[in-house]
Amino acid sequence: MSATDTGGRVSRFGSAVAEGWTRERLGLLGAVALVLVAFAPPFQVYLFTDFLVVALFALGFNLLYGYTGLLSFGHGLFYAGGAYGIAIVLRDLGPVIADVVGAGISPLVTFVLGGVVGLALVVALAVPVGWLSVRLEEIYFALITLAFGMLGYSLIIQDPAGLTNGTDGVIVLLGTVDLGGFSLRIGGRRIYYAISAVTVVAAVYGVWRVVNSPFGTVCKAIRESPDRAAALGIDVSHHRWMTFIVSAVVVGIAGVLRAGLASVASPGLTHWSTSAIAVIATVIGGATYFYGPIVGAFIFLYIRWAISRFPALEAYWELFFGALLIAVVLFFKQGAVGGLLLLRDRLFGDGDADDAGSGGGGARDDGGQATAATDDGAESGDDNARADRGDNS
Amino acid sequence: MSLTSLVPLIGIADVVIGLSLGSRLFLIAVGLSLIFGVLGVLNFAHGGFYMLGAYVTLAVVSNVVDNFWVAAVVGALAVGVVGAAIEFSAIRRLYDRVDSDLDQLIVTFGFVLVIHETVRFVWGSGSYSIDPPDVFNFSVTLGGSTFNAYRLVVIGLAVGVLAALWLFITRTYFGSLVRGTSSDREMAAMLGVDVPRLYTGVFFLGSVLAGLGGALSAPLQSTSPALGDQVIIDAFIVVVIGGLGSMSGAFVGAMLIGMMQSLGPQFISAGSIAIPFLAMVIVLLIRPEGLFGGIGE
Repeated sequence: MSATDTGGRVSRFGSAVAEGWTRERLGLLGAVALVLVAFAPPFQVYLFTDFLVVALFALGFNLLYGYTGLLSFGHGLFYAGGAYGIAIVLRDLGPVIADVVGAGISPLVTFVLGGVVGLALVVALAVPVGWLSVRLEEIYFALITLAFGMLGYSLIIQDPAGLTNGTDGVIVLLGTVDLGGFSLRIGGRRIYYAISAVTVVAAVYGVWRVVNSPFGTVCKAIRESPDRAAALGIDVSHHRWMTFIVSAVVVGIAGVLRAGLASVASPGLTHWSTSAIAVIATVIGGATYFYGPIVGAFIFLYIRWAISRFPALEAYWELFFGALLIAVVLFFKQGAVGGLLLLRDRLFGDGDADDAGSGGGGARDDGGQATAATDDGAESGDDNARADRGDNS
Repeated sequence: MSLTSLVPLIGIADVVIGLSLGSRLFLIAVGLSLIFGVLGVLNFAHGGFYMLGAYVTLAVVSNVVDNFWVAAVVGALAVGVVGAAIEFSAIRRLYDRVDSDLDQLIVTFGFVLVIHETVRFVWGSGSYSIDPPDVFNFSVTLGGSTFNAYRLVVIGLAVGVLAALWLFITRTYFGSLVRGTSSDREMAAMLGVDVPRLYTGVFFLGSVLAGLGGALSAPLQSTSPALGDQVIIDAFIVVVIGGLGSMSGAFVGAMLIGMMQSLGPQFISAGSIAIPFLAMVIVLLIRPEGLFGGIGE
């Protein structure tokens, strides 16, 4: 009887926690965490800002990969597009804008205008590049986006128009807003963190609205079966093109933020190895979940930081992510978010928590399901992940 | 007449250098193309294999036997073993998946990182170079320009490999199994072909070719951990232009890109490194199957 009691207590505790995870409370918890980070030591603030930017980059990428089934190896092009857009505006138009609006407020106006120009540049790139790329599928889509990214890289390096300053890139100076007694250094770690956090949260919310709209549902239909989607009257390539543009814009916002954070827009942003960061973060986090890329980016940045604490290992952090990437694709495609959800179900069971016996049974059932998904690999793993996604989105 | 008027414009040395660059690209691209043609796997780690071939060759020459040719064979075979092990342990698990193509690409990309870091761990971040084997280490002067005779050897070997592969695929029993499996895996399996073993065999062969490419070009370039990442992109361009799965396409594509790398900068100062990528985009859009046919052609 005492064993049952313990079981009952555990699952009652479990259900209390599980029922407590409402969306509002989670949101509030997130907001509190975001505010608390602002008071962390400067390096931690920087690292967290870095995480937010990479998370947005991966989230934009995953709109195309996880939601529409197209793997791009060239999204660095739009990351760089946003970064170079703002960097060039800051460099070339700063003085002009200062003349128009006055020197005090001009850094802020230039920053905002630069962001808008960066996004306009991204749209101008994504419309033709996307229109051409979505004609191809699977490996061929990966190859053509890789080619477009590297084409952008070559042009930035060789700089035929004299805009991008070759391999050195364009230095980004954000400046200080000065309004009489009140001054604000936009590039200051905490200020820039606040700007980034607000922007990223707004962008993530926007993407969330998109994927939960009819538009997002069509994306998922195309991912599951392009032929059946077409049979339902969906113009598959047009929809892929639109998704490509939205995805590029989200990545572009991350690129604008990256320029200010790194204080430079450098050609490396459009190299395929930068595009690969979005792939790594997304796959590790779990491409079939909305929050997968965000969790993946968190793992990517913080494990890299943790590894860098050990000088002997510091230089070899890529080895860890290479091995992790292989392991996730081979054995557990749901990624980290899938793992967390599985863990939650195992710990807290699902449903009937008052009855100790069935609570335990539930946990066992879940365990069995998990093993099946891992052992059978591909098919069942995918189905499982997709079923989970159906529940969550 | 026309030849003499061309000579001052394009030095013969530039042509030889272009062809030797093309030859090393051919060796990596033909393995990549063979593996894609038969297994349907685009192996992102192929550049890593090429780099590994160069490193093993350098290590054997400087530590074990002072004979370049023996070392090159050891390097190529070692890479073949690594490749077969990767196919056997990882890629094999993905053939039956729904999205197998993209999963395979991501897994082989994982191996890009693993190989890169392992090489850096073993040999460090510095770059190594060796002299060409003594027999061929002399200068040839032709039409007023000078180049190393070893470059001609590499070109000759690449042509030899193309011929040998062609004979192997079209004239041998194993070659017919490869062609048959490439066009219909299920049917081949039903007719009694041991498909998994054949796949490992083809992956081994493709990896040996990449390793050989790395080994043979060790005397022509400095070998550093960044080598794999550079060369895989060139190899992607080559196989796309030539046609994924085509061996003759890989040869023509490789020579084209090699010549472009050698002669391009003389004709177009700005934008010359962009042209191969532009060509890749155009071929993918207009003729995604490449300029040449499928496997065995």
